[in-house]
Amino acid sequence: MSRSGPPHAPRRRVLVAAAGLAGVAGLGGLAAFRTAAASHGLLLRTRAGLAFGTTVALTAAGSDAAAIEAALMDGFAAMRAVEAAASLFRPDSDLSRLNRDGVLDAPDPHLVVLLRFALALAAETAGAFDPTVQPLWPIWAGAATRGGRPDGGTLGDALGRIGWRRVRLEPDRIVLTPGTALTLNALIQGYAADRVIAALRERGIGDAFVDTGEFGASGTHPDGTPWRLGLADPRDPASLAAVIAPFTGFAATSGDYNMSFSDDRADHHIFDPATGYSPDALSSVTVTASSGLLADGLSTACMVLGRELGARLIAGHPGCTVRFTDKIRPDRRRL
Amino acid sequence: MRFFGAEAENAPSPLCGGGWPLRQQGSGEGRDGTERRGGLPAGRAIFGSRVPLSRPPSGATLPRRGGRENARLVLSAPSRIHPAGAGILLLLALLLQILPAQAGQLDRATLEKYFPPPLVVGEKDDALPVWPILKQQAGSYEVFAYAFESVDLAPIPGFGGTPPDLLVALAPDGTFRDVRVISQHEPVFLEGLGPEPLFAFVDQYAGLSARQAIRVGRPNARAGGAAPQTTVDGISMATASTRVINQSILASALAVARGKLGFGATNLGLKVEAKPDLYEKLSLSDLLARGWVRRLTVTNAVAAKAFKGTGVEDLADGPPDPVLTDLYVAYLNAPSIGRNLLGPARFDALMRELGPGNHAVMVVSAGPPDAPENPLGDRFVLGSIPDRLTIGQGGLIVTARDMAVERRDTGLAEGLPAGPWTILRIDQAAGFDPSAPWVLTETIVRERGQILSEKITRTFPVETALPADLFTRVKPDEGPSWTDPWRARAPGLGAIALMLAVLVPVLARQRGLVADARRFPAFRLGFLALTLGFIGWFAQAQLSIVTLVGLVRAAATTHDLAFLLYDPPSLVLWAFALAALIVWGRGTFCGWLCPFGALQEFVALLARPLRIRQVAVPPVLDRVLRQAKYVVLAGILVAAAAGSPLADSFSEVEPFKTAITLTFVRSWPFVAYAAGLLVLNLFVYKGFCRYLCPLGASLALLGRVRMLDWIPRRAECGSPCQLCKVRCRYGAIEPSGRIDYPECFQCMDCVTIIHDPGQCVPQVVARKRGRRVVPQQAAA
Repeated sequence: MSRSGPPHAPRRRVLVAAAGLAGVAGLGGLAAFRTAAASHGLLLRTRAGLAFGTTVALTAAGSDAAAIEAALMDGFAAMRAVEAAASLFRPDSDLSRLNRDGVLDAPDPHLVVLLRFALALAAETAGAFDPTVQPLWPIWAGAATRGGRPDGGTLGDALGRIGWRRVRLEPDRIVLTPGTALTLNALIQGYAADRVIAALRERGIGDAFVDTGEFGASGTHPDGTPWRLGLADPRDPASLAAVIAPFTGFAATSGDYNMSFSDDRADHHIFDPATGYSPDALSSVTVTASSGLLADGLSTACMVLGRELGARLIAGHPGCTVRFTDKIRPDRRRL
Repeated sequence: MRFFGAEAENAPSPLCGGGWPLRQQGSGEGRDGTERRGGLPAGRAIFGSRVPLSRPPSGATLPRRGGRENARLVLSAPSRIHPAGAGILLLLALLLQILPAQAGQLDRATLEKYFPPPLVVGEKDDALPVWPILKQQAGSYEVFAYAFESVDLAPIPGFGGTPPDLLVALAPDGTFRDVRVISQHEPVFLEGLGPEPLFAFVDQYAGLSARQAIRVGRPNARAGGAAPQTTVDGISMATASTRVINQSILASALAVARGKLGFGATNLGLKVEAKPDLYEKLSLSDLLARGWVRRLTVTNAVAAKAFKGTGVEDLADGPPDPVLTDLYVAYLNAPSIGRNLLGPARFDALMRELGPGNHAVMVVSAGPPDAPENPLGDRFVLGSIPDRLTIGQGGLIVTARDMAVERRDTGLAEGLPAGPWTILRIDQAAGFDPSAPWVLTETIVRERGQILSEKITRTFPVETALPADLFTRVKPDEGPSWTDPWRARAPGLGAIALMLAVLVPVLARQRGLVADARRFPAFRLGFLALTLGFIGWFAQAQLSIVTLVGLVRAAATTHDLAFLLYDPPSLVLWAFALAALIVWGRGTFCGWLCPFGALQEFVALLARPLRIRQVAVPPVLDRVLRQAKYVVLAGILVAAAAGSPLADSFSEVEPFKTAITLTFVRSWPFVAYAAGLLVLNLFVYKGFCRYLCPLGASLALLGRVRMLDWIPRRAECGSPCQLCKVRCRYGAIEPSGRIDYPECFQCMDCVTIIHDPGQCVPQVVARKRGRRVVPQQAAA
């Protein structure tokens, strides 16, 4: 795996498109949203903000403005709770403390859920997904600042500190082998989508569309049409590569465009735990699943595994779908 | 658009400035001005100080009306109601109309008025009190600005101890989108000049970078040639207030920049410059060996490797060795580099042209001049920001523009290639630190495909790291220092010092001028005229309880006493008053240096021609009323210690701001109150001073430390002689003849009497009886 952590996890260029609005959700789109919703007697409210180092937006529909407001606040509170447990953007999160101290007693339940899932997926993918790639981050980030790539020796040293078996998840305690550092950035946004949808549902909001960096949707748009999720072309964010419609459940995209160390995006924030370099076969992978956590984990694993092994991994998870975008398509272009 | 000098081309967003529909409240009351102002037009807060400027409409109308009615009720009072009662009633009236201004008062609805659609007010951050302002683009959001209230992050006390509150919008690249005034308590901007100059002042920040230490210059400093990236025009008569506002903006922006933008920790306001005198003769090969000049060579092989897998890696045919581009990179400001490369004459000319604080980087091409890859080839545009050469530091691009210096290569160092070259200028506003590693990046662009061609770019960086001892590092400029107002007001301070230098010997030498019953009253009136006209109205040095409030607040919360330094005349007078307190008691200030006291004394001169007789306050009532001022003082200090804005409201019991600071140019209830006290003074001499003044009360309390009982007494004083007691207009002499020093205003009347053989009754009697009496001299 995996995405490693901060700083700025960047803009996710996936378009949110509602029914009837083919791809362009600008101002006119919003106005159309409201008109359509109002005609069904339902209100649509969106609350945007910053979380996980990027912008997030929650959209909820309902008939009672106060209830929607309360639900949106709960949604943000859910994201803050996940951040407090497992965000590397926060020096005071449980995960940051674990990385600092090497051991954490009474870990936050969110952290336990995330880590348990991460270790299980690591086992399932034979380490292609690995939450311990964090030591690679400072090496690559530092090299990029100096305008180069890390040398083999430094990378080799970091690789020696990577391995998901170096993490011990005990009932009330997490212990890391010295030198190990964890990142759950590959999972945290998808998991947050799960938590937000659950928080909204608890407030009686059944129709919602959340963008926590990954996406989740339940119910329908208040005008009765299904939610649609537009996927931007990784190399041309202004155009849509695909549209998922109807969209309910969760979708996660891993790609080389979010955070690249080089302009050609050969080196980016997803690392192959075996080599210390970024996998070079795919430009992006989008996975839909019944949970954001699963979608997010699988999409990252697929980036490392590549098209063939990735497809096999997805096949083992009924109800999940996957879309691959190859890295370079010179041949297709020439055709 | 609000463009800013050389930065304009890099203005990140088309919405910056022009697209943002918000204008400053005072200057832009157009279409939506009133709505944003919350129904309160600029500067029209009826009761002046404490009405927050941007309260929503509903909140603003009620207190205004309530306040006015209450005030009207009271204003007829002075003619018939007891003065102290009137004052207290008025105080209550003021309290009723004043809403406390709380820190961090903006809510989502208010912010949405400041940042209307298409901007979106994001969910408030839970770690820092910051609202992300987002912009929706193609279905996703981008951060347009971080909005925050300065008082949440940098509550720097203003002139009266209350921090101003500014709404600051900081763009993700660290430039100010805009700054607005939410609330402020600076007297000069409330009534003196009005708030408009302040609105214009904060307008200047839009487009400036928070990476800079911005200093407040003189008025029109920018037009006068001050660096527009780091200077804002000051406002005359408001040096201290603008400085506090400036600090509030910068300090809060710095806190947000550190927390949110990941910068500011190192480069903010830091000035790093090459030592101009440090020169060592070095050849080009020495410089290359030391790494002071760097070389970036891209061969065919290197380029092919970089473009590997793109389909254009083998665009340059031929063997791998040939060089595509070969660049020499040098930071010129250090004489050991620049002077050696350019020669002394060219180096000096360049440094003159460059100007202090700015940086120059030279890039010389030694590669094949006609190669399409050559960044300094045919397509290089003189005077532009080159598109294929960028300078970066700490992961951020620094704007570097070709200086278009004459392209003759004379004077260049031995061995430096004769190829085309550029000298890039980095403005000091860029926050570039030449003592830290920086990277020059060359971009090579290749096109793939014949018809639908696609541009593929690869970058080739080279890092320069120069030793720190080539440079001087100057810590961030603190803005105008506290010494500025002292220097600017030196003549006034000198005059005040002169007044004090005259006053002290006169008061100390009781057998001198004081004993002269004809000339001393003239001296006193002359001195008081100066106190009123010069110290009060001109030098604006009326001491006030507000300073004590500021001290209490500083002790309780801010721990910053620096605000005192920005008002030199007041500080000098405070120092003198406190010193005099120890020697003589409160009277030195109250009787000689208080401008409002002097004003009362002049007004009281009218009593005789107007045939107004003093109202005799019964002794019992007098004693009670004298205690009232201590109650007022306690109320103010308790409120201040509790951090309550009520302290400001209570302080309005002082008419000083109205009568002296603002020369009666203020809303009518305040004027009426001050005038009422002056009228009262005709009937009850200095009634305000004796019964209400909290400043007098505090001085009287502090005056308990007085060391001298300096008023001479005789055995006959009080028994049987009551002359001084009867003559004392302050009631500070008891029937026993004892002096009540806390109530003494040091008018010297009794001292004059006791030294005047024609007035002092025991002396008159004694002379009649043919013998001398000796007064008991003042105790040491």
